[in-house]
Amino acid sequence: MEGNIENAAKALSLGLATAFGAIGPGIGVGYLMGKTVEAVGRQPELRGELTSLMFLGLALTEAIVFYALLMGFVAFFIA
Amino acid sequence: MSSRALWRRALGLAVVALLALPAVAAAAEVFDPSLEFKLEPYVSIELGPLDLSINKAVVYLILSSLICIGVGLFVVRGGLRMRPTGAQNVVELAYEFTERQIARPTLTDRVYARYFPYVATLFLFIAVNNIISFVPLPMGYERGTFPFGIRDFGLYAATANINVTLTLTIVTFALTQIEGVKAHGPLGYLKTFIPNAPGFIKPLIFVIEVLSQLLRLVSLSVRLFANLLAGHLLVIMAAGFMVLLGNFAGLLAIPVGVFFWVFEWLLIAGLQAFIFAMLSGIYIGYAVQESH
Repeated sequence: MEGNIENAAKALSLGLATAFGAIGPGIGVGYLMGKTVEAVGRQPELRGELTSLMFLGLALTEAIVFYALLMGFVAFFIA
Repeated sequence: MSSRALWRRALGLAVVALLALPAVAAAAEVFDPSLEFKLEPYVSIELGPLDLSINKAVVYLILSSLICIGVGLFVVRGGLRMRPTGAQNVVELAYEFTERQIARPTLTDRVYARYFPYVATLFLFIAVNNIISFVPLPMGYERGTFPFGIRDFGLYAATANINVTLTLTIVTFALTQIEGVKAHGPLGYLKTFIPNAPGFIKPLIFVIEVLSQLLRLVSLSVRLFANLLAGHLLVIMAAGFMVLLGNFAGLLAIPVGVFFWVFEWLLIAGLQAFIFAMLSGIYIGYAVQESH
């Protein structure tokens, strides 16, 4: 019984960590892309610059998912 | 279809088959993708408490270093021509990319000459590490599929190891602080953490600024490490599902695995290297800038 609860807790923690960790960055990335498209619509000649900035912001925002995923992995494999 | 396109298709098929092989070999035992990231020493070198063994990560680091040094020696020093060859085109592209996109926007004039090589090296080294990590090499965990004791083909990234990324981050962090102290003097550098705010908030924001500087160590290293680790685990788990799920569901896992592999290899590998190098440049440039 105790072994089952431990495995269940580990699986649950990994799943919940990934699920909750993906909410914020999902909203953030969508907002970022929308703002980039809007800015390119205003000034199409800045498309290259804005694309470069978009990739920078994209990677910074995506990293937040991986912080949460990492904690899930720690809970699953280490704890 | 031309013979070139035929060779490319055959190569793609071979890559997919090689990626599926580890799962087949491990089908008889427990499927544990974390075993791929376990580092066993190939050649054990222990100097007292220091463990300098050559293990899988060290071999990958040596391989990527050889590629970077080889490109530098044989393409750049070997003779740059007015009519560039294919390899020279790639090197020129890399140089132009690192200069225009990474170094120019982030490094200020006083540190540009000294830190452009550092930032460019960071980008190229991490990019080469990430790119070769998605090529299956015979350093997997299992043995027994091939003769002569050759291990199974597996995927591993040297940068999927927190030690590697933390080392690069510590170098960047040390350089940032050193340049900041050199530019402003030790007390002047601490003064740059104090904002233009009403007097009673200043100590709080000072503490927050110091904490955020220290947190850069964590965020810079963990971003690269977790991106690569998660990408590899996704591909390995998709390869495992191809066998574990049985007939039809296993077939569904194949396009998922291929999609993750292509997405990671084409986009995430280079992007994470670019982000690491760009943030290093931003931190160094920000530490020496005059205004606040």
